[in-house]
Amino acid sequence: MAELKLPELAEGVNEAVVSFWHFKEGDVIKEGDEIVEMATDKAAFNVPCKISGILRKILVQEGDTVKVGQALAIIE
Amino acid sequence: MKRFPYWLKQSVKDNENFARTRGLISKLGLNTVCQSARCPNIYDCFSVKRCTFLILGRYCTRACNFCAVESKIIELKKPDKEELLKIKKAIKELDIRNVVITSVTRDDLIDGGANHFADCISILRGTGNSLKIEALVPDFLGDKNSIEKVVSSKPDIFSHNLETVPRLYSKVRPQADYNRSIEVLKFAKELDSRIITKSGIMAGLGEFREEIRSVMQDLRKADCDIITIGQYLKPGADCLDVEEFLEPAEFDKFSEWAKEAGFKKYYCGPFVRSSYTEEIWQN
Repeated sequence: MAELKLPELAEGVNEAVVSFWHFKEGDVIKEGDEIVEMATDKAAFNVPCKISGILRKILVQEGDTVKVGQALAIIE
Repeated sequence: MKRFPYWLKQSVKDNENFARTRGLISKLGLNTVCQSARCPNIYDCFSVKRCTFLILGRYCTRACNFCAVESKIIELKKPDKEELLKIKKAIKELDIRNVVITSVTRDDLIDGGANHFADCISILRGTGNSLKIEALVPDFLGDKNSIEKVVSSKPDIFSHNLETVPRLYSKVRPQADYNRSIEVLKFAKELDSRIITKSGIMAGLGEFREEIRSVMQDLRKADCDIITIGQYLKPGADCLDVEEFLEPAEFDKFSEWAKEAGFKKYYCGPFVRSSYTEEIWQN
């Protein structure tokens, strides 16, 4: 089980808003799949998953503001 | 909720090269415009060990409204040779072949930092390999000695960004002057007809398309060889709002115009930045 955490999207930008989940809970994820789209003030970023597994739980919803390092989802 | 058009999405490429590039820059205490400007291309670039070093410290004496680089007018540090040696070290360690050196604007220095640019180029030439260097300079308040100093240090490309159309200067870069910036490029070419000159502008700040076309004509009159045009993106809360997100097809139109205008090279696209493309270095 692993947590997918929000990486720093641009230097000194310490939070971002969840725009869109490309997968839903229970979906099979392959390493490198872009799993969620996040938006900063400046641009939108797709965040890839670093491992393969099942998207067990989505921890933050579309519209939520998330801090860098905060867990977005649990992959199992 | 903040929404960006579909063509303005980047991907996080958190690979080994990214970590290495960022780690080394941070270890050496260097500044890059990639970081200072919160550039959304940082993953694309750092993941292939491409970066644009920002010299003359991290504080800028001007406060342009499109830019996230921190502004400060007192207690500024003198040009530091150590900074240049560290850049040389980073270039060697990362095995960088093409590099862009830019700076904050230092209106507090008599030479505007031109000698530091020249020293930088001379130090980097000493890396021994066939490093290609672009010097992306400020306007040096139009000072001809400063421009000459940089040109005679022989960067492969001499670059100065106009940033926007003349009508928007007071809003976008109030301490700059459009004609002065054109003159910087023109004078560099007059000094050395073989030097490649380059300029960049941002779209989406409220300019008309025809104004961009007119800027192209002005640049060509100054014998500028290369133009880049990208989408302006608001880097921080204090900066200007984006007036318009131009569709990719609009940038294709700019490319057509640039070709017609006679630029040798032109790069126009939403994520195009002054130093985003590697193609620029190919003959």
